[in-house]
Formats: sequence, C-alpha cells, structure tokens
Amino acid sequence: MANNLNIEVSPLSRVEGHGDLIINVKDKKIEKLMFRIPESPRFFEAMLVGRKYDEPSHITSRICGICSVAHTCASIKATEEALGIKPSEQTINLRKLIYHHENVQSNVLHVYFLAAPDFFGVGSVIPLVETHPEIVNIALRTKKMANDMVRIIGGRAVHPIRTVIGGFTKLPTEEEMIKMKEILQASYPDLEKSLEILRTLKIPEFERKTEYISISDSVDYALYDGNIKSTDGWEIDDQDYLDKMKEKVVKYSTAKHCWVNGNVFMVGALARFNNNYQKLTDNAKKYAEELVLKAPCYNTFMNNIAQFVEIVHSIDDSIRLIDEILEEGLDEDKAMAEIKPKAGRGVGVVEAPRGLLIHDYTYNDKGRVEKANLIIPTGMNYANIEKDMHALVPSIIDKSEDEIKLACEMLIRAYDPCISCSAHLLNVKLVNK
Amino acid sequence: MAFISKNDSDKSGDTKTNLKIIGFGNKYRSDDGIGIRVVEELGKLDSFRNIDIIDGGTSGTDLIFLVKDCRKIIIIDAIDAGQDVGDVVNIKVDDVEEFIKSDFKSLSLHDLNLADILKLIKALKIDADISIIGVKPKKIDFGDRLSPEIEKKIPEIISLVKKETGI
Repeated sequence: MANNLNIEVSPLSRVEGHGDLIINVKDKKIEKLMFRIPESPRFFEAMLVGRKYDEPSHITSRICGICSVAHTCASIKATEEALGIKPSEQTINLRKLIYHHENVQSNVLHVYFLAAPDFFGVGSVIPLVETHPEIVNIALRTKKMANDMVRIIGGRAVHPIRTVIGGFTKLPTEEEMIKMKEILQASYPDLEKSLEILRTLKIPEFERKTEYISISDSVDYALYDGNIKSTDGWEIDDQDYLDKMKEKVVKYSTAKHCWVNGNVFMVGALARFNNNYQKLTDNAKKYAEELVLKAPCYNTFMNNIAQFVEIVHSIDDSIRLIDEILEEGLDEDKAMAEIKPKAGRGVGVVEAPRGLLIHDYTYNDKGRVEKANLIIPTGMNYANIEKDMHALVPSIIDKSEDEIKLACEMLIRAYDPCISCSAHLLNVKLVNK
Repeated sequence: MAFISKNDSDKSGDTKTNLKIIGFGNKYRSDDGIGIRVVEELGKLDSFRNIDIIDGGTSGTDLIFLVKDCRKIIIIDAIDAGQDVGDVVNIKVDDVEEFIKSDFKSLSLHDLNLADILKLIKALKIDADISIIGVKPKKIDFGDRLSPEIEKKIPEIISLVKKETGI
C-alpha cells in the first residue's frame, strides 16, 4: 500500500520512441502527474517549406517506419486537395487496399509484440519465444502477409514509392492481385488461433468516458477517407478541422498537446471502433462479440482488442476490394490523374494506425509549399493519457508501487503511442575476447 | 524496405540470395542516416549491381524476414560499441554480449528497435551470419545532413563492405 509515491520511468519501454512518466503521490493524493515527451516532428514542418508538390509525400513518409503509408496518403490527399487533382476510383481503391495493410502491420506489432508481453507477465517479446511461441509465429506470419501486400501495391514494404500524387507510378498485375487474395484467404486459421489466445487475456477493469474522435464514412469503416466525427455527436468536413481542434505547447513536453472544443479526447482503434462499429464486416463484428468488445467502450485497455478486430476487418475488406478491382479490370489509363501546379490550401486527413492524422499544406502558384502543419495522433492523445492516469492511480493506490507503475505503463502502452521520429543508434557491449 | 539498385521493386519478401546489404536509419535524423547514405552510394557501384542492397529505413521487424532467407547479412548503421565518435567498427552479431538500450535518446525502429530484433533473431535460433558495420554518430538530432566528420567516413565503410563481401 502506498501513501507516498515517486514514480519516474524514463524512458518508458515498448512504446515507439522516447517518453517519460512521472507520478508523485503524497498522502494518497496525486501531487504531480506528467507524461513527458522530449521529441517531436516539428522539424518536418519546417523542412517542407519551399518543396515542390511531388516531394512532401516522400519526405513525410520517413517520419515513421510504421505509419509511412498513413503519412504518404495524408500528404498526397492534402496536395491533391490544394492543387485540385482528382484521382481515379481505381487509385482510391488501391490506396484503400494498401492502407488496410499498414494498419495490419502496425496492429500486429502492437497487439502481439508490444502489448502481449504485459498480459502474459513477461518483460518483452524475447521471452515470449519460449513461453508462447505460437504468438510469435502468428505475429511474424501476419506481419509478413501485410508486408507482402504493401510491397505489391506500393513497391516497398515501408516508405512506399509507387504511391504518388495523382495515382500510382506502376500498377500491380492481375496475377499479383490474385496471389494477394490467396495469401489473405490463407490467414484465417491464424485469426481463429489468435481469438483463442486473446480470449484468455485478463484485460484490466478500468473505465473513463471521454470523447472519441475518428474519421467516418457512410459506407466504409473509414481509414483512408471521411468526415471527422465525434462520439459527442458532431461531424465536420475534414477540411474544417481547425474549427474544432486547437494545439497548445505545454512547457514540460516538446510535443504539442491537442484539445477539441476545450476538451481532451482519444483517437486510435478504440475511437474508430466506437464511431464506426456498424461499418465493420459481419465477421469482424463476430470477433468483437467473442472478445466482449461492444461499442461504445470506455476501457482504454480494450484498444488492444479493437486493434485485433481491425485486423480481421482489414483482411475481410481487402478480399472484397481485390474482387472489385479485378472485376473492373486494372486500367493503365486510370493509373495517373493530370497534375497542374497552382496556389491553394489543402488538408489531408486519414486514420493512421494510432488515430487521426492531419497534414495541412498551403502552396504558392509555382506549386511549392509555403506553409505546413502536421498533427499526429499521439499528440492528440497526450492530454487524454494524463487524464486516464489521474483516474487510474487513485483507483489502484492501495497496490504496491511496482504494481501501480506497471498498470500506468500498460495504460500508456494501450494507446500504442508513437512518440519519436525514430533515430536508432545501436548501442552494444562486446564480448571481451 | 527498398532495393536501392532496383528503385521501384522491393523483393525483400521473396528473394533467396546469398548476400544482402541493408542500411538502417532515418535520413532526417542527421548521422542516424549514415546507413542509408552508404547503401545509396553502394547502389551506384557497378561491382554491386547484382547484390541485394536494401534501404531498411526505419522498419525493424522486417529484418527477420530478410535474415531467414539469406546466408550472409551486412547491416550498415550508426553504432556505439564503445568506440570514439567517428570511429568505424565491423562487428559480428555473435560477438555482441549485450544489446544496450540507450537511455538518453530514442532507439526506436518504430516497432521493435534493432537491438530487440537482433535479440529476437537469436531467440528464434535463426542461423545467420550477420555483421554490423557502422560509425559512432556525432549527433542524431533532426537534420537532413551528416556531420562532416561522419560523412568523410563513407569511403572507409564502403572499403570494409568490400572486404567483408570480397567484391
């Protein structure tokens, strides 16, 4: 039991990048609670200024090795909106297809490699190889499948090269599309096995109702395109995001915090699930039901389960999209739309695996960027993460310091935060020979 | 991942070759981009035309798929093995006693970091000959240029790659 606590976790492990957690409790009251981020992608905004219209998507793709398709697509959509470019239906379907598989790549890693070790009581994925080899094997097979999908469509498994403004520089062949469908169909036994494993997980009981924001579409479970929608009942055109969203710099973190209508909110798989449950495939709904995930869900820890349900949906919907593309027939004439530089402003909003991602560019009449604003999902979640911890810590204050620390770390990890822009200097100690 | 020498086709999931050279890093984090810069240079060399040279970018787990199908892997990366800033090292993964997570800067490859992936490769008992050639960076802040003292090490790193591969 802890009357006084001084928790400082720096850096927090198994989140993407570098974040610090600081909690001070005195006489069972929280005196200080901070989730501190010493890194930020602001550099990229400055770097885009002056760049020609065909460059931003390739540059911003490098912000993140996990969300590279999301940054590519948000960037392309912002530029296309600004320049008035209309991509073909075929292009949009192929973008939706590649998009599904970045979501699968990312969700697989988070559910199996980054979050699962908490639930199985092991420190990281390394011991999982011994204790739960089936999880590691399913994760690797599913990741490989998603990599193959992204590579066939985008030319690379990350940082896609064929996905450009206006369309695609090269289309996949019909044979490749058929092969993709076969690979996807072969993945269902792994989903069934995953369901068996995930059913055994003990998800912490925790509820805190907040506002959930995602994009939303009248037909699709929106990932690539849609209006911005809130569980608080409002919905706006994605071009008007500034009407609702405000960013603010907080002094202990270089990352900006984000508020909507003055409130904190959550983005990510759980937000998408809460807003768009009805658009999931029937099969994905069945998996959600089996895992006791119902919309609306206010338990942040269930974000991990929502991510798994999305994997099922993405596989189902990819098969549908492939059938639709094959039925229409791949047409080289529809691969690229006409591009003419002009002055204008455009906003590209997509769902990155971790939630709403916004690119906002202003171009001059020579087609060069004059101003860029990027709002990343983790930046939107920071304030909500702190609110969640303010609710969680008093409810577990009678547990040991180690248990409280682990619960807070698990809560932050449940958001799948993507904090840094991945530098990765390798640090090793050599065998003394 | 991207094949530098074949810019539009990344076959990293399909090929089974004897040798792969992979550069890791973020080219917008100053010296962290050394691995990418070196593989870009290697891609221009005629003698390496038939070798799979891969821009691994900031992806991590994918290394497992590359290693599984390959006899020998050379990784080019920013690396701190206790040497001075700017010093180039060539080490075998088997000679690494401990992969240390740096506590002052992100090590993330944005999924699992390279240290975790190399540990995972060992845990999965994947038998592969992996060398890491790299230089200790001076700075890994945001920036699209290498420090001059790191940039001038590119020829030395390429010489080591040539020696290691016999090309």
